[in-house]
Amino acid sequence: MRSASTPPAAGNGLEPGFRGVICVSFGSTGDTAVPDTDGQPRYDLHFEAATADTLLELKSVFGSSRVGVRLVLAGPPTDIRAAAAVAADCGLLGEEVTLLSQETGPRFVYCPHCLSTTVDVTAGTEVTCHGCSTILAVTDHFSRRRGAYLGYSAHAEEAA
Amino acid sequence: MTAIALQPQVHPAVEGGLHLEVTDISRQTESIVSITFAAPEGGRLPSYVPGSHLVVQYGSGVNAYSLTGSGNAPSDYTISVLRVDEGAGGSVAMHRLSVGDRVNVSRPRSAFAPASTASHHLLVAAGIGITPILSHARAAVERGNTASMIYVHRPDAGAHVAEARKLLGPGLTALIECTNRGSFQSVLAEALITQPLGTHLYVCGPVVFMDAVLEEARSQGWSSARLHSEAFGAAELDAGEPFTVHLARSGVRLEVPAGVSLLDTLETAGKTIPNMCRKGICGECVLPVLRGAPQHRDLYLSDQEKAENTTMMCCVSRSNDPELELDL
Repeated sequence: MRSASTPPAAGNGLEPGFRGVICVSFGSTGDTAVPDTDGQPRYDLHFEAATADTLLELKSVFGSSRVGVRLVLAGPPTDIRAAAAVAADCGLLGEEVTLLSQETGPRFVYCPHCLSTTVDVTAGTEVTCHGCSTILAVTDHFSRRRGAYLGYSAHAEEAA
Repeated sequence: MTAIALQPQVHPAVEGGLHLEVTDISRQTESIVSITFAAPEGGRLPSYVPGSHLVVQYGSGVNAYSLTGSGNAPSDYTISVLRVDEGAGGSVAMHRLSVGDRVNVSRPRSAFAPASTASHHLLVAAGIGITPILSHARAAVERGNTASMIYVHRPDAGAHVAEARKLLGPGLTALIECTNRGSFQSVLAEALITQPLGTHLYVCGPVVFMDAVLEEARSQGWSSARLHSEAFGAAELDAGEPFTVHLARSGVRLEVPAGVSLLDTLETAGKTIPNMCRKGICGECVLPVLRGAPQHRDLYLSDQEKAENTTMMCCVSRSNDPELELDL
């Protein structure tokens, strides 16, 4: 059956009806960018970065949350993508999560050769995998589950 | 009643389906009977997705009924039918079936599937709406998922109550029965604000009931993607006004009498229209409209699509204008 709801307004995932908002910001991002929560309860969290510990803490926050909540993530793309992946794993749906991404910033690149993830600080077309030192060409394929772009061995097709 | 007398001709909605034998009839309540079908030669029937339905032919008509099993490798199919005396006759015919009768049925069709990413299923049923909900509960138990159920029924008139209670355990964690409106309101209100984040809601019952539950859920912040409803218990549509349809490409004019669907009319005229549910739910029988305002009676098109009047579901929709022109 088709849903009868209208899509949320662009740039603001907080369509009417939610019962609370969890606002998570990373790095130097201030919370000013967070949309108006329309008088609903708001729970603010700030972290320097999306580390393993940070993500574990978020997981426990999501684990004690109830259906009806919305999530706003603000900060560098690497951090908010990592947090969004945890949110999805905990059962939050894409339409319940708003990403406020800083325009520029480092991104994660996934290496399918050694299965590790490298931070691509310069966001260029190639990056050296920190796991296996392969030069990775960075594709547009983005995994929401990993929060990372797919890389592959650059120049692999050229004669050795 | 002989099989031949019951099945004069294979209805298009069950073509390519199965020919099954009634193997068991059991009375659930005064007005609800469970009917079990199996292959006459025995053996396994096609598996189905929880919440699926079966289209069953009666005489020259067909009706869709929810399957109540989990769907995993079944050797029989069971439906439960509420007798509606003022209906089109399907439920009365079903209630007349006896063990040994043969019927034409479709293969199971899925239109109310569980969300694969859900970590918990909140199941809400009213009356005969228990049938697909029971299927969901059984599947959750078999597959190691969890579900909780709210079941609204009249006092001492709940179908499948004993079977639902038997499922209680690590899979079906709660079964709350409500026999009056007030208790249901408070049970639902409590349930809607206490579900963990991975929960999806499934509701089946009268249209008014479903609308109320979905509305309440939305007002408590449930996004549409979490809400699932089974619409084929939709109220019987009225016969409608007669109208004319002009098939622009074929250059044919056909009269659609009151009480006969546009789809039936087109099929009688030799047109082959892809279709599935014939209830305005699946969207298979969509037709392009060139001129005229269709009277949209389906549950498939969005409000915007209906307002555009460029497409229509010919199984249930009719015409507001005396004549419709179709690109056919």
